Amino acid sequence: MSFTIATTVDEALVALGAGARPIAGGTDLVVGARHGKAALPADLVAIDRIDELGGVELDSAGVRVGALMSHAEVMTDPVIVGSYTAIADASALVGSPSTRHVGTLGGNVMNGSPAMDTGAPLTVLGATAELRSVTGGRTVSLDELWAGPGRTTANPGELLVALHLPPARDRCGSAYVRLEYRRAMEIAVVGAAAAVTLAADGTVASVAVALAAVAPTILSVDGVNEALVGRTAAAAGPVAGALASEQAAPISDLRASDRYRRHCIGVMAKRAVDAAARRADGESIAVPVNRSIGIGAA
Amino acid sequence: MAIAEVPRFVRADGPDKVTGSGRYAADINLTGQLVAKFRYAGVSHARITKLDTSAASAMPGVFAVLTAADVPDVIYSPVVPDRRLFAKDVVRFEGELVAAVAAVDAATAQAAADAIVVEYEDLPIVDDLEAAMADGSPLVHQDWESYAVTGDTVQRPNVASFSSIEKGDVDAAMANADHVVMSRYVADGCHALPIEPRAVVAQWEGEKVTIWTSTQVPFDARAGVCETLQMPASKVRVIVPHLGGGFGGKCGFHFEAHVAALAKAARRPVKLVFSRQEEMVAPDRRREGMIVDITSGVKADGTLVARSGWIAIDNGAYTADAAFFPQLAAMHVAGPYAMEAVKIEASLVYTNHQPSGSVRAPTAPQACWALESHTDELAAMVGMDPVEFRRANIVDEGIEGAAGQVYGEIGLRRCLDAAVEASAYGDDLPDNEAVGVAISWWPSFPGPSGAYIKIDSDGSGMVITGAQECGTGSVMTLRMLAAKELGMEPEDFQLVYQDTSAAPYDTGATGSQTLLNNGRAVVEGAREVAAQLRDLAADRLEAAPDDIVLASGKAHVSGSPDKAVSIVELAGVAAEGEMLIGKGSGTPPEYPSVSAVCVGDQGLAGWAGPQFACHAVHVRLDRETGVVRVLDVSAAHDSGTIINPVAAHGQVEGGIMMGVGQALTEGTQYGDDAKQRNTGLLEYKLQTAADAPTIHTEFIEIPDPNAGPYGAKGLAEAPNVPTAAAIANGVAKLVGMPVRQLPMTAERVWMTSEGMSS
Ligand SMILES: Cc1cc2nc3c(=O)[nH]c(=O)nc-3n(C[C@H](O)[C@H](O)[C@H](O)COP(=O)(O)OP(=O)(O)OC[C@H]3O[C@@H](n4cnc5c(N)ncnc54)[C@H](O)[C@@H]3O)c2cc1C
Repeated sequence: MSFTIATTVDEALVALGAGARPIAGGTDLVVGARHGKAALPADLVAIDRIDELGGVELDSAGVRVGALMSHAEVMTDPVIVGSYTAIADASALVGSPSTRHVGTLGGNVMNGSPAMDTGAPLTVLGATAELRSVTGGRTVSLDELWAGPGRTTANPGELLVALHLPPARDRCGSAYVRLEYRRAMEIAVVGAAAAVTLAADGTVASVAVALAAVAPTILSVDGVNEALVGRTAAAAGPVAGALASEQAAPISDLRASDRYRRHCIGVMAKRAVDAAARRADGESIAVPVNRSIGIGAA
Repeated sequence: MAIAEVPRFVRADGPDKVTGSGRYAADINLTGQLVAKFRYAGVSHARITKLDTSAASAMPGVFAVLTAADVPDVIYSPVVPDRRLFAKDVVRFEGELVAAVAAVDAATAQAAADAIVVEYEDLPIVDDLEAAMADGSPLVHQDWESYAVTGDTVQRPNVASFSSIEKGDVDAAMANADHVVMSRYVADGCHALPIEPRAVVAQWEGEKVTIWTSTQVPFDARAGVCETLQMPASKVRVIVPHLGGGFGGKCGFHFEAHVAALAKAARRPVKLVFSRQEEMVAPDRRREGMIVDITSGVKADGTLVARSGWIAIDNGAYTADAAFFPQLAAMHVAGPYAMEAVKIEASLVYTNHQPSGSVRAPTAPQACWALESHTDELAAMVGMDPVEFRRANIVDEGIEGAAGQVYGEIGLRRCLDAAVEASAYGDDLPDNEAVGVAISWWPSFPGPSGAYIKIDSDGSGMVITGAQECGTGSVMTLRMLAAKELGMEPEDFQLVYQDTSAAPYDTGATGSQTLLNNGRAVVEGAREVAAQLRDLAADRLEAAPDDIVLASGKAHVSGSPDKAVSIVELAGVAAEGEMLIGKGSGTPPEYPSVSAVCVGDQGLAGWAGPQFACHAVHVRLDRETGVVRVLDVSAAHDSGTIINPVAAHGQVEGGIMMGVGQALTEGTQYGDDAKQRNTGLLEYKLQTAADAPTIHTEFIEIPDPNAGPYGAKGLAEAPNVPTAAAIANGVAKLVGMPVRQLPMTAERVWMTSEGMSS
């Protein structure tokens, strides 16, 4: 049993190489252990004091978002709110103010829950994950990273150091909408993110839609780009919704039946595409979308 | 008439709770203390074929393992005694206790509890209310006829208690009606869910046991220990440290005897602290699931003429305190309406679920939800505005209610007017918003209650009361009553409470009764002290005792404020000789008689101090998903005189939030094995602060001569009654028909609006 407090990435990697598990905010790891989901790992390395893991940096390849960015930081970061708004929409919905101040983007991604809120936004925005271990580093797509509920393809010795986002495009907007039964301390019953780029004439130039909590991992909706390019923004939402409903593979559980989830994922996908298109068109819809439109609005 | 001119009243326990210095039962640690863990049945209905504790007992660090064989064979519970401390032969719900362990630490105790070998032979599960009442259904209690039931309680196979209320000729009246409307509404069970999961600590000294426990009803808890462990009351002391909420979930007698028995067997103090999941599975207090069928006959002009009702209430496996539920539910299905004929039958049905028991206004929110939804259906049938329909049919002064009680001056009509007026009812609203209105009533519960009052040599006062503070603030309010009688300030009084060996009897924090009954006791006790002070002052001021006025901390001669002596000085004098000590209990208000015929009468067809309320709730519906949000609640309450406005507003706001949860998100889900599936706060969805609507509260203050001090009635439960009903009526307007299941979850609302049934 050991608990290492790392202050540099290298220190953390050594501990990981020796078999320790990283703990960032602990809001999944510790709460899960208390809940009886999985015992707390015997060896832990705390990564929450590693400065290198924080911050948002613009570079030639786009934007690098540190894995240790808390949800509270993500939802107010000007670059993310300005150009990658769907991620801010998602972070702003996580748990409660205290959860958001402690919980991290990296923890959300690496925990690999199918209901994670930042997963669908990161997917539609084309994020990649930078993993590092004592033997070197690699960058993988999120699709490759998530292997199933609570599982990733990262090796035990690998640390997620950052998420990389491609440069922001003109007339591009994104949004994340989730179905929630109450306005705090909620888990996505279903959630949908969309990124939309508009052509000069206002029609859809490109679009991506991804779904949360309707499959073992975050689900990218197939064929949505082909179906929507050239359509007006207004016509795009319903088509995206229909595709999302079709492709979802939801389960029935205590939160909702599969039938209701399948219906609602269509509604969420439609709303996400609508909101993303409006943002692409320059309209300012405050973060999170859930508090600006629909049922969760003030 | 508010007796407090003070705008804010600081709770005596507030600073301790807010700063964290307050101590709860789980904070108590005693020398040599052991940890208790229970072995639960884990199955819903089975015969025990083998129970072997030898491996558990042999584990190092285990000091005691108890089963039914180790405690007196007592069958207990008020009215319908049907359970034992530990299961004997048969287990009837998943949370039933089979054994208890005391060991050096939690891990050892849990390992020992797990090491107990229990083998079962399955018995048929009874979990459908209608099937349970049908001929030939398997029985939850094979020996039901042998139980020593008290009072006029009527029992049948799988029915623990049946009641009916009948007045006039319903068939004839229905035949005269222009329209007859039949409705069925089905409510899921739900939980009280106090934030503090309960804790019990027991310590023996010789033949006496002291028990610290998170109970709302210390005297009931003591009585339970005495009955089940066969001990005299003089040997059992129950103390309640700060209580982290109850909402009824901590009423009754629960685990005090188990822990006391463990401590005795182990010869060490023993402490039990529940997990959240245990708190949701094991206690015999959760809100009852219910099926309500109502049929009403109305004239074309909107006059209600007759009502018949059939109610099945999920009792769960044991009866706890629920024997009166059928009559109370029947009263709520009748409702505060006038009609010439009524016949309502209600059954408390045994199932293999967790037992039901008094949770804040037992049976009422569900029954009111059914009745008030039905009432909007009636109004629609005759083409009347639902508020106008109510105005035309509610009870009022001099009008006879469904059970035949004739009311004095009551505030129901004014509540209806005030709540509707304060709401957006009738305004132009967006097409996904509506205002629903519901009215409700609730009795006050007169009962015996006592208090002592003393003033010490330094002039500081003390109220020593049997009453229990569960967070409502009503015990805190007692200081205001004592202060008013004695011309002192509330802050001049300390409180000693929650200790059965220090104070006289009180029923506890149950039935909205603290201020009603203990308030009367405190006033009477304070008046004794006031008389003593006046005698002393009369001597000093050379005046007649009757001419002495107690005000502003002084005793002065009437009409001559300068001829005065301070209470502090008088207290000093008294301390040298005849001390300032008062006691009070007072005569409880009377239960009015009624003309209805009540089979299985539990004394609840005629209400003393009836409370009335109306909630008008502004809701918004997300039509595509069925998610409902409550935007605004206008509440108006007649609970008689409001003595402590700050606490009263708190009660209404808390009751409404609990009602919102019950309306929309809080419901127990059962598996086919009759076990609860959502026993954690992740899947059992309470409302959060972020969901709270704006709440406007108005009190219609009509002092009730047959109620509590200054004409105060109860208030703790009434605000919980009409909220779900009002929300339902708002939702029904938007969906176009009522959602006939409670909670009205998003999925159920969506299915209703899509014309699907679940
Ligand atoms: C009350 C509450 C409400 C919540 N609400 C939501 C919600 O609304 N939406 C939502 O999506 N989630 C929610 N969560 C889950 C959780 O808060 C988030 O997933 C959060 O982002 C996790 O971050 P963390 O830093 O706390 O992770 P941790 O618990 O520290 O770690 C989670 C997992 O990721 C691993 N890990 C962490 N950082 C790294 C890294 N840099 N590299 C490799 N592995 C790493 C850990 O080893 C662990 O396996 C909630 C949790 C709670 C307790």
